[in-house]
Amino acid sequence: MTDVTDVTAAGAHVKAPAGGPPRAPARGGRPGHISGRPLWLMAPGAALLLLVVVVPLALAVWIGLVDLDQFTLRDWLGAPFIGFANYLEALQTGGLLHSIWVSTAFSVLTTVVIAPIGILAALTVHDPFRGRAIVRSVYLIPYVIPSFVTAVVWRLILQPDGALNSMLGVVGVEGGNWLIGPMAFWSLVLVDTWAAWAFVYLMTLAGLQTIPQDVYEAAAVDGTNWWQKLRFVVLPQLRGPLTLALLLSTLHHFNNFTLPFVLFGSPAPTEVNVLPLNIYTTSFQTFRFGLGAAMSILALVVLVIPAILYLRAVRLESGTGEER
Amino acid sequence: MLPRPLQVVSVVLLCAFALAPVAFMLISSVSPDVAVASGDLFPDELAFGNYVELWSTLQLANGLANSLVVSLSAAVLATAFAVGTAYCLVRFTFVGRRSFLRSLLGLQTIPSALLLLPLFVVFFSVDSYLGIQLVGTRTGMVITYLTFALPFATWVMVTYLRTIPLSLEEAGLIDGLTRFGVLWRIVVPLAFPGMVVATIFSFLLGWNDVLFASILSSPQTRTAAMQLSAFAQSQEGGAIPLYGQLMGASVVCAVPVVVLYLVFQRYLVGGLTSGGVKG
Repeated sequence: MTDVTDVTAAGAHVKAPAGGPPRAPARGGRPGHISGRPLWLMAPGAALLLLVVVVPLALAVWIGLVDLDQFTLRDWLGAPFIGFANYLEALQTGGLLHSIWVSTAFSVLTTVVIAPIGILAALTVHDPFRGRAIVRSVYLIPYVIPSFVTAVVWRLILQPDGALNSMLGVVGVEGGNWLIGPMAFWSLVLVDTWAAWAFVYLMTLAGLQTIPQDVYEAAAVDGTNWWQKLRFVVLPQLRGPLTLALLLSTLHHFNNFTLPFVLFGSPAPTEVNVLPLNIYTTSFQTFRFGLGAAMSILALVVLVIPAILYLRAVRLESGTGEER
Repeated sequence: MLPRPLQVVSVVLLCAFALAPVAFMLISSVSPDVAVASGDLFPDELAFGNYVELWSTLQLANGLANSLVVSLSAAVLATAFAVGTAYCLVRFTFVGRRSFLRSLLGLQTIPSALLLLPLFVVFFSVDSYLGIQLVGTRTGMVITYLTFALPFATWVMVTYLRTIPLSLEEAGLIDGLTRFGVLWRIVVPLAFPGMVVATIFSFLLGWNDVLFASILSSPQTRTAAMQLSAFAQSQEGGAIPLYGQLMGASVVCAVPVVVLYLVFQRYLVGGLTSGGVKG
């Protein structure tokens, strides 16, 4: 350090930059390279991905085109090729369209219900107060309890002689059947709401922390009340993370197998025969593998719009949900 | 952010909503079976014996051991394989890099049955042609758990490795390390916390799985998740459903997971925005 100042002080302009040779332009988290690209480092992981993900997916497409059931399973490579007959059968019979409708209604409805709950929860713990850490942990508990435990516990609560009906009895309301018949769908929405609202809460909380403090200060100087501040300052800033949260939530609820499977058993009542359950029953209880594969691929067609929206909302280089 | 009264009311209501079923589970787990079955929330006597009896009724110890072995093996394997892939995805540009990253995320949106179906068919034929049994074994389950653990662990590692500065690797190269040496001696030690998080999250995905286990496990290799679900369904219609023990077993399955999450709460948000933790 002293050397450099001494030299410049003496007026001897030997070298302008005192820190050695110019640095490589690519730095930090952005992709860049120094010399060579040892891509072979990714060979083991990529090969394994190919083996356990890509190959099975390709195989699933093929299975969807052949007549594969428990009789042809032993010689599955020789299963008769029937083209799109499985797809036709799935669309014409088997309740696929009903299941798609139930799954769509369930996933959209649950997302719509958990969004305000999650946002409200995040707002309650954003500002520090005594005991905030405990409240934050409590909010997380329903979300982190394994789905199968959630389903088993609620299955018991919702029994005809269970805790919910006995509590309703205390206030004089006649409880009904929550797990079969028309109420089953609403029970599923209720249980999934309980289990999943903390997802929106966490995403909102993460989004709130990225809003700079001076935004709030500016709003305070302008004399806004809390509702105006929320409506015109906070929520617009949360658009990115919330879009991501709601899309992901819809996708996950649509594909949720464990909760309805453990809550209602299989085969499930028609009202809650969501797509993953229907595919499961078709594939592994009636052993129509070809039909099941065709149904799964048709499920992908339904999911493609939210999936594309999701991939567009995520910033690949940072993995967060901020707007581009 | 919110007016004080609204904040207080909201916190109380949300905590009550979150905790009511948990309280039900805890109280029922120490209640006599008959009391739980009849919806009696405040039984006259407690039955702590549930926690003793459930181990023999459900063979839960066996199930927990299976869950632990299968999920942990898949999680450790997935993380070990993920590091190299994630490193290349973060440090180098190559054709297909962005598509690779997109696919990792896109995999979360496909129904798991789409992967289970072909793997079941392949396992079945490996058994009949090569005589290697995979259906019903722990090995078979580890392979299927990799289908979700590997893409997930890779994505978590991608997000973590981005935070490691390049200059340390440059220093290593200048000091004469090979490219593999850089990965092994510099990147892996620095990324170790990220690897722990990737392992834990992948482990929890396996611990929570019911779909794959319901098809690929045999009575000996049943995971705790599978045992609990099957036990819950078998108790209905019985003379005296063992609901007290069922809730005890639920507590036993849930507690390790809840503790893990609360300990690693700080990392939870990071794991979440990476997706993968399916509701």
